[in-house]
Amino acid sequence: MLTYILFALVIGSVYALLAQSLMLSWGLAGLVNLGLAGFFAVGAYASAMLTTWGHAPIPLGVAAAMLAGGLVGLVVCFSTLRLRDDYLAIVTLGFAEIVRLVASNEVWLTGGTDGISGIPVLVPRDAGIWFHAGSLAIIAAAVAAVYLLLRRLLRSPWGRSLRAIREDQTVASVAGKSIVRFKAQAFSLAAAIAGVAGAFYGHYTSYVAPDLFQPLITIYIFLAVTAGGNARPAGAVIGAYLLVAFLEATRFIAELAPGVSAVQAASLREIVVGLGLVLVLSFRPDGLLPERSQKAPAL
Amino acid sequence: MFYAQLIVNGLVQGLIVGLAALAVTLVFGVARFANAATGDTMTFGAYAALIGHKATGSLVVAGGAAVGATALLSLTVYALVFRKLAGRSVVALLVTSIGVGFLLRSVLGIVFGHNQQLFTVPLVRPIRFNGLIINPFDLQLAAVAAVALVGVFLVLYATPIGRRMRAVADNRELALVSGIRPERVMIALWLLVGAVTGVAGMMLGMKTIVSPELGWEMLLPAFAAAILGGIGSPVGAVLAGLLLGVAQELSTPFVGFTYKLSISFVVLLLVLLVRPRGLFGRLEGVR
Repeated sequence: MLTYILFALVIGSVYALLAQSLMLSWGLAGLVNLGLAGFFAVGAYASAMLTTWGHAPIPLGVAAAMLAGGLVGLVVCFSTLRLRDDYLAIVTLGFAEIVRLVASNEVWLTGGTDGISGIPVLVPRDAGIWFHAGSLAIIAAAVAAVYLLLRRLLRSPWGRSLRAIREDQTVASVAGKSIVRFKAQAFSLAAAIAGVAGAFYGHYTSYVAPDLFQPLITIYIFLAVTAGGNARPAGAVIGAYLLVAFLEATRFIAELAPGVSAVQAASLREIVVGLGLVLVLSFRPDGLLPERSQKAPAL
Repeated sequence: MFYAQLIVNGLVQGLIVGLAALAVTLVFGVARFANAATGDTMTFGAYAALIGHKATGSLVVAGGAAVGATALLSLTVYALVFRKLAGRSVVALLVTSIGVGFLLRSVLGIVFGHNQQLFTVPLVRPIRFNGLIINPFDLQLAAVAAVALVGVFLVLYATPIGRRMRAVADNRELALVSGIRPERVMIALWLLVGAVTGVAGMMLGMKTIVSPELGWEMLLPAFAAAILGGIGSPVGAVLAGLLLGVAQELSTPFVGFTYKLSISFVVLLLVLLVRPRGLFGRLEGVR
């Protein structure tokens, strides 16, 4: 049971990293990333390939995942930064599908649908419960690090400019802010965070395959971020853990309810997730923790 | 001759993409957001047609069921969800539509199960024409698409409500000041969009296999065609859809069957880089 709780917490922490990535691009910069699962996959594969096939140490793999996520993010957002924000969303939507296509078909590069197994883990697996506890400690530390970084960025002039751009591009550009550069930086950083999440995921489960990166994950994270509050790092983190708690709780309820098959239960859970997303966006778009308006610094 | 055959095959696929893109572009033009629920609404249309067809065995009834049920669904979604969100950012609406689509997909999954289902249509001998093989069933589908397109363009360009719709798409404030009631325009829009999506879904279901994921996979080509045609341009959407359908078929000998979908993505990126307003769009809508 303790193992199970630790497992759920690790997954929650990975989701918390993804949620913070989405919070940065969507909540702060207004750039919707519908391809979150794609960047998650890029990071997971980058680190898995480097550490499993290249025998590189794990920290190097995680760094490579961050770099790969950030670079791919830059390339993806490059074509649409001068256009309306929803064009980027459409491109990222396609991007995630393409990542899955490439991962499933380019067997020489990614191992195809079999995926990559035997990825080195963070803590030796034979440590029993300490394997889960140790992994949790490392990934939770990453969540905390990203949280502190984002909070710092949010209060910095950079974060203020980003929100100014989100609110009114014309005013921001009149004030001398380079909109394209700020957006590219924010999106790329967010993609890098998603890449790190992917790397940790791979190093915990020691297995990556194209099927693990379904658009479903993106929907989950959107629900977590909208429910928690999409413009505050704390909201995103809380939302992610709440989401995992909810997903796991429904698993138990489904087991208790008679006459509901596992497949039906999964579908029912998806219905609740979809409904939740639509309801939160309709009735409480600010989430649990609404954005605080910052006072202008004293002159 | 091989390529000519591919073009013929691509045309039917292209009509489906074109209809889906038409639905996307109408919503984008009038309600001003990219409706990511379009694909899953198509799936709904395919299931509605399937039920109609199974119950009666008549393709006409199937078509009627698809158009009627999907138009009703589309209006319901507008009334329950999108109406409340009017005036929020385009991005909020887009995310909501993703949620709506996901909800729809999972409801269809639980109602109909994840088994793939087929339309049982009688086999007919293909027509040979100068060495080209043409399936008469494809001709029927093309005729259905043509009728649907004529219907939509008649509504848009020959009725008062169509004129109002185009006025709202053109300049919302000016349209409101001139006394156009936005609510009525929106109701007509969503009914029309639902009907088009239903026809597209039925055609897609008849060409392939009906499953809850059917329409989701169509979303990217639909968006790509809508943008290639120029957002908000109905004619552009249909032409771009045809182009994309043909391009997808023509690409298969080179990139293989699995990467057919990536053609849409490449086209999408190229258009956005080179000519973001598309073939027939206007520049103002893009930035």
